[in-house]
Amino acid sequence: MALNILILGGTGFTGPEQVEYALARGHKVTLFNRNRTRPDFFKGKVEQLVGDLNDDVSALKGLKFDVVLDNPTTFPAWVRNAAQHLKGNIGHYIFISTMSVYPDNSRPNMDETDGTTPMPADVDPYTLVRENAGKYYGALKTFAEQEAERHYPGQVTVVRPGLIVGPLDRSDRFTYWPARIDRGGDVVAPGTPDDPTQWIDSRDLAEWMVRLAEQKVLGTFNAVGHSRPMSELLYGIKAVTTAGAQFHWIPAEFLTSQGVRGWRHMTVWLPPTGPTAGFLRRNNDRAVAKGLTFRRLAVTAAETLAWHKTRTEAEQKALMEGAVAGLAASKEAEVLAAWKATQKGGPDHE
Amino acid sequence: MSSRRSFLHTGAMIGGALGLGGLPKSLLAQHDPFLLTPQPVTRAPASLNILILGGTGFTGPEQVEYALARGHRVTLFNRNKTRPGFFKGKVAEELQGDLNNDTSALKGRQFDVVLDNPTTLPAWVRNAAQQLAGNVKHYIFQSTTSVYSDQSIIGLDENSPVGVLPADIDPYTLDPAHASRYYGPLKVRAEQEVAKQYPGIWTVVRPCLIVGPLDRTDRFTYWPARIDQGGEIVAPDKPDDPCQFIDVRDLAEFSVRMAEARAFGLYNAIGPEKPMTIAEMLYGVKSITSTPGFFTWVPWEFLKEQGVRPWRHMTVWQPPYGATAGYQRRNASKAIAAGLTFRSLADTARTTLDWHRTRPQAEQDATLRGAVGGLDMKREAEVLAAWHAKLKTAGPG
Repeated sequence: MALNILILGGTGFTGPEQVEYALARGHKVTLFNRNRTRPDFFKGKVEQLVGDLNDDVSALKGLKFDVVLDNPTTFPAWVRNAAQHLKGNIGHYIFISTMSVYPDNSRPNMDETDGTTPMPADVDPYTLVRENAGKYYGALKTFAEQEAERHYPGQVTVVRPGLIVGPLDRSDRFTYWPARIDRGGDVVAPGTPDDPTQWIDSRDLAEWMVRLAEQKVLGTFNAVGHSRPMSELLYGIKAVTTAGAQFHWIPAEFLTSQGVRGWRHMTVWLPPTGPTAGFLRRNNDRAVAKGLTFRRLAVTAAETLAWHKTRTEAEQKALMEGAVAGLAASKEAEVLAAWKATQKGGPDHE
Repeated sequence: MSSRRSFLHTGAMIGGALGLGGLPKSLLAQHDPFLLTPQPVTRAPASLNILILGGTGFTGPEQVEYALARGHRVTLFNRNKTRPGFFKGKVAEELQGDLNNDTSALKGRQFDVVLDNPTTLPAWVRNAAQQLAGNVKHYIFQSTTSVYSDQSIIGLDENSPVGVLPADIDPYTLDPAHASRYYGPLKVRAEQEVAKQYPGIWTVVRPCLIVGPLDRTDRFTYWPARIDQGGEIVAPDKPDDPCQFIDVRDLAEFSVRMAEARAFGLYNAIGPEKPMTIAEMLYGVKSITSTPGFFTWVPWEFLKEQGVRPWRHMTVWQPPYGATAGYQRRNASKAIAAGLTFRSLADTARTTLDWHRTRPQAEQDATLRGAVGGLDMKREAEVLAAWHAKLKTAGPG
């Protein structure tokens, strides 16, 4: 049955995948955004409403939808603003939250019943101050989840993805690995081959959300792939390349001593100990039971790499320099040299 | 420019996973198209008149397809028993005969180059040469790295010692039992027969384990087939153990390009280009499957106790020490310098699995029973249970 779907945003990273999939499934798609990110990207294929969740939602006035997919919301105020017109006019509200709502990442296999992050008492939950979006990201997303439930009681699905990866991702976190491994040579790999990692392909996320809409599944879900060894990720990526990368697994403590940080430099990885012991081992049973499926790693890796090669020269260069995420090629060489020196049983350069 | 895989393999690859502006085409996602090693085939500068001995088995069909795509004229000589009529209408000519005792169809024929795939027996080289010696400009013989007598040598190259046929065995034997028992030494003698019959115009290519679609030995195929089943999978000994293999298409294309280049001499044809560990191989294969599963690396000593053998049950793998220390660490730099190239592992694994799924159900079942190569899944479950019981008894630490 065709649904009348409103997508808030829809031109960023997950959104375009939702649009394409929803159209392919025969749904009617309306976008609401500022028409700034990739303007007119879907012209002629979808209804386009222009506005701004900060201060101009008038284009939504009087419209009715079967379901809303809310992608861009970091601020509870955005949920509230959209609800001025949408409340009472929709049947289902699907909100993309984040696993960053969980303050405690110390234990493996934590699920959706785990505690979320409260808003600090001295911060206005309806803040629109830009710095707050990063500073209170988990707390604001938690509050936004609750805001959605307040406006659409009994009609809300909260989807909490882990690291979203794939083509169109500008965070370079996952993209770093296919790009780096495709260059070949000696590659710094973090910790041990058995350290856990976890991610979700943006297409798997997008397609599942559309299917949740079709089946009107309510509730809260961790949306992430199965936890797997870091070696599975890196070796799987190597399999789609031909450069013959050689991995050097360097212990977490040594990386720390070199100023190499998990997540920022060694992306898609955090030490599986202490406060981050469970960070990349989240439970996904509930989402899998409700139909979340996963692309093959080779597909994610090959298509991310192919997309990366279509990016501008400047963006590709930035990745090599670790400007957004990842380890700069020059720094990597230094770290490797320092590590090899320790492996020879003492300094042999001085 | 021609697109390969037009008729050889079902499950043809779908190119172009990315649309305009880099937007992924989710519409195609149901078919999981992803970019394999891109390889548009261009025509060779000059067309060769190529005779392929065999041509319908495993390496042969890939040579035929590539040679045709490069614009060469292809003639096959075989018994027309393996896949009869497979290339009907594609190749210029199909000559029928038998290298054992009937090579008359080759009489009076001239060729630029011969690709000799099927030869285990020196007598076959000799028999073909009765008609071909003096009538061909280049003879490319597919031998094997099994010619090497000492596999403990790490970095073994074309100058390493080869096996010697026992003095009491007739080198021109046609006994099938000899063919398998003295495989290496007979291949050595066949190489020597080639050099004798075609002095100065021969090429000998020595591939290691040849893998890919159409392979019926199940040695590589076991892994994609098994991993695709998911669950707990026995992996051999240590993740960092080395492994080597060559995709049949890389081998076939290399031999055709050697013909085009008129490159003579001895070449190890071994992949991959840079060292690969068995964990990289297994996780690389796993990356093209979607069934959840994980590997349990069981120490070699324990596998041995359980009667699980390298190569036969733990395929592609050999213990990297002792008599097989060099088995997976041979040197192919000469062939690489001469133009041997390599597909991605994901390409090899995916194409192999796609092909495997087109095999008759009985063959697919046999693979999971380890009937030809690989470990029977029932046996695997027993080995795992025994291993976990042993770990439990040993206690933590």
